[in-house]
Amino acid sequence: MIAIDQIIQDVARLVVKASSHWDEDQVACWKKACEREDLPRARWAMEQFLKNAEAADRDQSPLCDDTGTPHPFLEIGDKAVLPAGFLEAMEVGIRKGLNDLPARPMGVRGNDLERISQCRSLHGEPGMLMPAPTQIRRMPGSRIRLTVLMLGGGPEIRSKTQAIYHMHSHDRVFEEMIQWAIPQVAALGCQPCTLSFGLGRTAVEASSLSLEAIKDGRYDVQSDVEQRITDAVNAANIGPIGLGGKTSVLATFIKVGNMRASGFRVVSMRPHCCMESRKASWEWETKA
Amino acid sequence: MKKITIPFFDECELCAGDFVEVTGKIYCGRDAVLPHIVEMARSGTLAAAGVDMKGSLIFHTAVSCAGIAPTTTSKPEIEGSMVPLSEHGAKFHLGKGRISQETIEGLRKNGAYFLIVPPVSALLTAKMTSKRAVVHPEFGMEAFFEITVEDFPAIVAVAHGESIFAEQEGER
Repeated sequence: MIAIDQIIQDVARLVVKASSHWDEDQVACWKKACEREDLPRARWAMEQFLKNAEAADRDQSPLCDDTGTPHPFLEIGDKAVLPAGFLEAMEVGIRKGLNDLPARPMGVRGNDLERISQCRSLHGEPGMLMPAPTQIRRMPGSRIRLTVLMLGGGPEIRSKTQAIYHMHSHDRVFEEMIQWAIPQVAALGCQPCTLSFGLGRTAVEASSLSLEAIKDGRYDVQSDVEQRITDAVNAANIGPIGLGGKTSVLATFIKVGNMRASGFRVVSMRPHCCMESRKASWEWETKA
Repeated sequence: MKKITIPFFDECELCAGDFVEVTGKIYCGRDAVLPHIVEMARSGTLAAAGVDMKGSLIFHTAVSCAGIAPTTTSKPEIEGSMVPLSEHGAKFHLGKGRISQETIEGLRKNGAYFLIVPPVSALLTAKMTSKRAVVHPEFGMEAFFEITVEDFPAIVAVAHGESIFAEQEGER
């Protein structure tokens, strides 16, 4: 059985890694985009991002000062046995990780009304930023896999979840998704970004699938539809931090869920900013 | 690459699109504190608080244990501070994103510049050698800070009424 203290330590390490590290496929995608850029100011901006990623990785320091809200995504093997207190240990580990980083102290004090207006200011401790509700999926085997995604504030202003009438054409839905993406990517301010889309039956399901899409997405794997959306937004010449250039979107990740008989599909889009995706995973074997 | 030392008194000519590196003591503030700084500038109480706007640079950022990086300048309280603070001597505003034509014109009239930098927190924080809250320390990370930086990378986005974003709009 996994020891509770071990879970806390592993999760804390995961939060620091997610906040300060880009995976190899992500770095390779950035380097390729930088190499093909002809516009000097756009290339300069992308060089700064790559230097930043090196510095953050080396120093285990935050990639961005908006260190984001932790979103835990848990996958539980069909034969796995969760130790008692696992979710509590996960939350303790997230708090420890935010303090170890340290993350920006962003947790808002007070009751429901006070938190909305932010009238009682902020908690001084970085770890008092509570994680978002945990997403859970099942998987084969006896392991437990936790992915922590750190989601920043800017992209939330540009996210959108709404129904699209499909008119019995998936092309129509994808074209509408492109029309959503172009103005929101342009307004984001932190390009190039990564688009994630979830398509489902309800707003809750579509948002959850969008998160799953960015969790699973690899920057060196793009389906035809994902590449089509990436190319269409890049043709708008928005460029890194809006300076123009060839790369406004590095990649697009789409997760299509179950559908129901109806004339609409609910689509949830999140334009993840230039510092994202910020994610890291860890697995525990629960077989005795 | 042009080197800029703060405070800056027109030692060199700058144009939109120039790459620069900034060294010296600069000020930091964002939404919460900048309206107060504007008010203090108008009432003539900034000097008593130890703030000298002449030739200064205002960086639109919080200063927290997670570091520094530009927030979006077009937020009303931030962009709204740029022209008034330029009228009181601020030479540079450093942030992120586009600003309005009205602000561009206000900067031109006051001989001020808008610089932008990507939100590269790890890189920028490593170039910061000191920090202290000088006005409204009770605002925490959103107080008005004075920090010392060395070779801070930036690009001139707006100079003499010209914007690099306008050029891009034409291309799109």
